[in-house]
Amino acid sequence: MTDSQPNSTIRRDDALWLLRRMRLIRQTSERIAKLYPTDVMETPVHLCIGQEAVATGLCHHLRDEDKLFLGHRTHGPALAKGLPLEKLMAELYGRSTGCSHGYGGSMHLLDLEHGLPGSSAIVGGSIALGVGAGLAAELGAGHFVGVSYFGDAATNAGVFYESLNFAALRALPVLFVCEDNGFSNVMPKSEHSAHDIVGVASQMMPTASIDGTDVLAVNDAAGRAVSRARGGQGPQFLHCRTKRWMKHQGPERCDLIEVDIERDCPIHKLERFMASSGMVTPRELADLRSAIESEIDAAIEFAERSPRPDPNLMEA
Amino acid sequence: MPWSRFDCDYAAPAGGERELTYCHAVREAIDQAMQLDSRVFAIGLDADDKFGVFGSMSDLSHPERVLGTPISENAMTGVALGAALSGLRPIHVHLRNDFLLVAMDQIVNYVAKWQDMFDRQVQVPLVIRSVIGRGWGCGAQHSQTLHGMFAQIPGLKVITPSTPYDAKGLLAAAIKNDSPVLFFEHRWLYKNTGAVPEEIYTLPIGKAAHLHRGNGLTVVAPSLAAIHALKACENDDLDVDLIDPRTIKPLDLDTILASVRRTGRLLVVDYDFPFAGFAAEVCAAVTEQAFDALVAPPQRLTFPDRGMPAAGPLERSYYPTPERIGEAMRELLAGQPAVTV
Ligand SMILES: Cc1ncc(C[n+]2csc(CCOP(=O)(O)OP(=O)(O)O)c2C)c(N)n1
Repeated sequence: MTDSQPNSTIRRDDALWLLRRMRLIRQTSERIAKLYPTDVMETPVHLCIGQEAVATGLCHHLRDEDKLFLGHRTHGPALAKGLPLEKLMAELYGRSTGCSHGYGGSMHLLDLEHGLPGSSAIVGGSIALGVGAGLAAELGAGHFVGVSYFGDAATNAGVFYESLNFAALRALPVLFVCEDNGFSNVMPKSEHSAHDIVGVASQMMPTASIDGTDVLAVNDAAGRAVSRARGGQGPQFLHCRTKRWMKHQGPERCDLIEVDIERDCPIHKLERFMASSGMVTPRELADLRSAIESEIDAAIEFAERSPRPDPNLMEA
Repeated sequence: MPWSRFDCDYAAPAGGERELTYCHAVREAIDQAMQLDSRVFAIGLDADDKFGVFGSMSDLSHPERVLGTPISENAMTGVALGAALSGLRPIHVHLRNDFLLVAMDQIVNYVAKWQDMFDRQVQVPLVIRSVIGRGWGCGAQHSQTLHGMFAQIPGLKVITPSTPYDAKGLLAAAIKNDSPVLFFEHRWLYKNTGAVPEEIYTLPIGKAAHLHRGNGLTVVAPSLAAIHALKACENDDLDVDLIDPRTIKPLDLDTILASVRRTGRLLVVDYDFPFAGFAAEVCAAVTEQAFDALVAPPQRLTFPDRGMPAAGPLERSYYPTPERIGEAMRELLAGQPAVTV
């Protein structure tokens, strides 16, 4: 497969869902960036401003039973999959009401109800876990797909090849989603990868390479890939080209890339599409923005009100 | 060989010498080793980054011998080993020791075994440097200290310097050594300063240092734990014989045994996991070899036997502090066996 055309026949409900999730991720990330310098969150944060379309377009097609395995850049994909905002905020605030009870921190999020069996901060390893979920489904554990979600630099780890190979050999119901923001930490892709990611994957399974700043394109390609994986057609590979607007870690803008809102902002592009096709009014867009701000206010209030975990209950 | 041009067993500075941070002491050892020996090169993920591994690799005089790598720790360890077997002296650098775990196959099955497997006919002049970090909610995969686990593997030397002077002298010794060395640097020590001679020097691998003299209790503590234990001794003017092993393996058991024979009591403070770890090893060895001298059961103060938590209050309770070390010392000095694990 090559670049897929965005599906301009998308229904209003679906477009609104995508917009809502992307806005939730964006505004939450922006709020984290704003609060971070005050030290209320004692944990490293890997933000995904600019990358919202990838996880959102993907998760639109995932069910709660589908198992999504993440790396260190967790917040956006976890929210897209359904992690309740207050549980994320409470985890970042190190509270016992957080999704990992304050034990995990920003890089280790869990939500069993919504198909998030955990995330890992050691780059690469969690790619194999998505394959394990696919294997479990194959062996009768349930009707779900496994999803391995990782960055471009994770393709440098041997576990990437090993995982793709095994999934392909056994035709497992697995989706590999590479969120390619063009950078490792500060190393550009040209310095960390001699290989073409899609080229490598395409030797083992069907692939799609998509503009990951276009949520309709991601939504479209993800829809097809997920239904193929579900339908017993083996593993699928989605390569989503996107941009990381922020530094690798922390609340600051990245000075290594140029951002052009018209070209690069997935939210701007979707809002423009929806407005021009009469799906939303400017008023509705503004209302959505402020509704989400209130949701974030409430989540922060919840986190602030929540107790800190009791060290005496920490079992050896 | 260029390495015969400078002395081993350099005496500790008496004071008044030039002060350097721990970080810059590490940097200077690498820089001078590279100048001295064109076979020395450094390789690692972000080793060539402008921040230079927290400053420990910035502005080296041979930047052409500093190579960045992809996130491929396992293969890169094999690459470094292959280079060491082919005439070079690599320093493989990791920003966190947790990333070594990705390279366990190469480190344990290859690097550690290569000499024994061929009856030591080959030299493996390979140094694996890694930084130990923790705090700020980094969580269970970015806060570990793993020297005890690696020390269990025959074929690896394990060094854990606590002072700038030791950092420079032991790193130079590690680079000079013809066997694989794991060199663990604690990030919390990076800004500490101390007297460091300007010229290149080595310290013997396998020789402990006394950080504090006393007769009531022997305390063995490596790396950051040594500095915290020293603080605890000084805060309360405790009658403690504080030994920093400096190298976990080979271990300077003679110095530890001699001290225990004097004090009759032992506390090992180790910022690592407790089970079958370094602290357990020291307690076992002392019990085996100086049982008669002991007047109280040897004690351990370590991390709890569980993964690191993230939230602030949990972190603060998880990690020992100078205060908690002081308490454990006072209890032992008072003659009450303290249960600390
Ligand atoms: C095995 C391992 N090596 C190094 C690191 C340090 N590290 C954390 S994130 C990162 C960059 C990852 O880039 P990519 O996989 O493209 O994901 P992105 O951060 O761009 O989302 C690095 C080098 C790590 N966490 N794990």
